[in-house]
Amino acid sequence: MKERQFMFATIALIIGGMLAIQFETTNNPIVRDTRDLWELRADLEKEKQRQQELNEELERYSELLDQYQTEGKDEKIQAMEKALADLKKQAGLTTVSGQGIVITIEPFNNELIGVDRPLPTIDPDMMRRLVNELNRYDAKEISIDDQRIVSKTPIREVNGNIYINNEPVSSFPIEIRVLAKNNEKLHQKIIASPAVEEFVRENFLVESTPSAKVILPAFDKDMKVKFMKPAKEET
Amino acid sequence: MWLPVLGLLLGLLLGFMSDIRVPPEYSNYLSIAVLAALDTLFGGIRAHLQGSFEDKVFITGFFFNILLAAGLAYLGVHLGIDLYLAAIFAFGVRLFNNIAVIRRLIISKWSDSRKKA
Repeated sequence: MKERQFMFATIALIIGGMLAIQFETTNNPIVRDTRDLWELRADLEKEKQRQQELNEELERYSELLDQYQTEGKDEKIQAMEKALADLKKQAGLTTVSGQGIVITIEPFNNELIGVDRPLPTIDPDMMRRLVNELNRYDAKEISIDDQRIVSKTPIREVNGNIYINNEPVSSFPIEIRVLAKNNEKLHQKIIASPAVEEFVRENFLVESTPSAKVILPAFDKDMKVKFMKPAKEET
Repeated sequence: MWLPVLGLLLGLLLGFMSDIRVPPEYSNYLSIAVLAALDTLFGGIRAHLQGSFEDKVFITGFFFNILLAAGLAYLGVHLGIDLYLAAIFAFGVRLFNNIAVIRRLIISKWSDSRKKA
């Protein structure tokens, strides 16, 4: 009788194991890695870059932490004010200037598109794509027609006009000012970029000129913060 | 009575802890093997209740049914016929039958013991 119990228990154990494995298999199946050599290299590169960025961030924060800890109260406030000013600058709430490039967009002249053709219109998608591409080529600050592009800037079309930061873009030529890490590189890249080609296809002439000094206005609208809450102080 | 339940729980625990996963192309075989194993288990319980339990039949039935079911599924894959459906059908019907018989046996035992009391 005892033997029989053990036999049942063993069989039940095997069944339990099988059930659990089957359950695991159906709920989280094995995903095969199908990346080829180049994809793997690219991913590795990406991860390395990410690691570097994270390390830099860590270093920056630990420096900041050191600063907070070592300095007295006044200096603490000073450091905070500096951090606040830095953040404001990062968020685009200050006017910035420096060496950069100026991109102008205007319709081709009449000889090229024909006399009776209506003026071409800019699609907000094209503009968004151009901004994305500028960001991809390491643009730090961008303004379009004196409207500063911040992380929450809307680019929309209203009644055939393009609106940036809820302000209509006045008239051609549209001027885009960009400050970049490497202006020369950005200049070279943007001229040959697919976004600019898209503009050309829609009968716009896009020109980019490096400039010794460009001034980008501050973002002057209210920055609506929807989801952030003040952090609680640690006690 | 509690030993088999303990075994089942231990098996489940081991299976979940070990994090073994079957490649998706074989998960069909495993599911059918699970069904065969369950069928054998309930068959064994029924035989035990009816008093016709035999160790050798039970153990050989367990492994043989699993292998047969998986083999049938394998053959089906290679012939292009869904033969595993046959196994699922057979085992499913038997499972229900066995559980029904077990239920009746338990009910009759229970009412007998109540009559005696």
